[in-house]
Amino acid sequence: MRIDNAYFTRRKFLNSILGGWLGAVAASFISPIVKFVWPPYKEPDEVKLVFADYSGMQPGEVKNFAWGSKPGLIKRAPDGSFIAWVGVCTHLDCNVAWLPDKKQFFCACHDGWYDENGTNVSGPPPKPLRRLESSVEGEDLFVRKPGVGAKT
Amino acid sequence: MKIDMKKLAAWFDDRLALTPIFKYMTKKEVPQHEHSFWYYTGSSILLFLFIQIVTGIMLALYYQPTLEGATDSIGRIMTELPLGWLIRSVHSWSSTFMIAFVMIHLLAIWFTKSYRKPREATWMTGMMLLVVSMVFGFTGYLLPWDDLSLSATKVGTNIPMAIPVVGKWVTQFLRGGGDVTGDTLTRFYLFHVCILPLVIFAILAVHILLVQKEGMSVPLKDEIAKKKVPALPFWPNFILREVVIWLVLLGVLLTISLAFAPSLELTADLMAPAPEGVKPEWYFLFLFQTLKIFPANMGPVTGEFVAVVLILIAVVAIFFLPFIDNKPEGKKGKLIQYLGVAGLIYAIVFSIWSLL
Repeated sequence: MRIDNAYFTRRKFLNSILGGWLGAVAASFISPIVKFVWPPYKEPDEVKLVFADYSGMQPGEVKNFAWGSKPGLIKRAPDGSFIAWVGVCTHLDCNVAWLPDKKQFFCACHDGWYDENGTNVSGPPPKPLRRLESSVEGEDLFVRKPGVGAKT
Repeated sequence: MKIDMKKLAAWFDDRLALTPIFKYMTKKEVPQHEHSFWYYTGSSILLFLFIQIVTGIMLALYYQPTLEGATDSIGRIMTELPLGWLIRSVHSWSSTFMIAFVMIHLLAIWFTKSYRKPREATWMTGMMLLVVSMVFGFTGYLLPWDDLSLSATKVGTNIPMAIPVVGKWVTQFLRGGGDVTGDTLTRFYLFHVCILPLVIFAILAVHILLVQKEGMSVPLKDEIAKKKVPALPFWPNFILREVVIWLVLLGVLLTISLAFAPSLELTADLMAPAPEGVKPEWYFLFLFQTLKIFPANMGPVTGEFVAVVLILIAVVAIFFLPFIDNKPEGKKGKLIQYLGVAGLIYAIVFSIWSLL
């Protein structure tokens, strides 16, 4: 029934109250479900490597290490310091390989090339390889995300 | 106690209201004309879907969706279990056949313009089924967990990243995190054996219901001329022809599966460089090649972004094709016909190019 001068019937009013309430209850479940489905993801801030494993590297030599669940690449510079990159292509995330005879990083997925400084030189990669910072501290070789200071 | 079969049948009929369904089946007619051959592509897809379900359940009895177990468990299926290698081969080949027939079905409907009013929703559910079939293939490709499937999945799940803001969420949803890891394998397995089957059955039910509701389409020129097209009874005449085609297809599928069983590579190493020759399944090759030809950067945006947006526009346009092609007998209808041919040539040329 409709009360005089009302915009809608009582039935319509009750329907929207019930419907709105059901909708609100359903919506309150969305947030926890979404949070569960998208897992908390964090890249490591730093990884600690054993310096002894890398101290014997010649200048220009490149070795692998594990940067979380991705490969990392570390190169010995002529002055004895280390330069590190995340070893995945900036194009579509494939793992890159170091080709010592060509002195280039190579991504086999779409024929992407980076020079020995990690700069994209040929193929589809839009950006250079992601640089990481590294420092030798006593027995350890630390690789860190740029801007993350040493933890004391 | 003797069961009165007649009474039992009557009881079932009474409770489940089966008579109208049988009546419908015997009364249903299929038009006969120069394009009727394409009607059979629909039921062929159902045959391959049925084979996928049966072989998929068999494989799932032994497959282990974990980093440590995936490759080994497939190895066990292929070497220890009786005819396991054949079951896997049939599952793999039947997926190829199914998607090929979905594409043929789609092209046949495009070229005969059967999507025209009142069958727009049938076309749209069909497009959804094509996408779901391709996602089935994409998720299934990772399950052997070798270097090639790992790299192909990394590339595939990274593509949404080209789209700002939402892309990152899509990628993390697909991967179960920022990288392709064991969580991705678990997730893909869940999609492949649980979520996608639910989705495909739901859409398929609507699709088949719509086909029954509207009946089979007749050629456009006959419709315009209001010509009475001769028809074939669905039961038993049409079914008989379908069964013959099914048996032929089954023979072809088994022969190919026997001769060209898929191999199994070494288990994937998350840290290893991508192997050479990373390729998706054949039905993604033309998209793969499309992504490849775009330059790294195009002005302020990446070439990948442009490519992904163009592909999305094409998919949306094809989805709404019945509404775009609203005067199928006119000039625009002709043009859309040619666009279909051009699209087909494009897909074939780019697929071959990607293999060179």
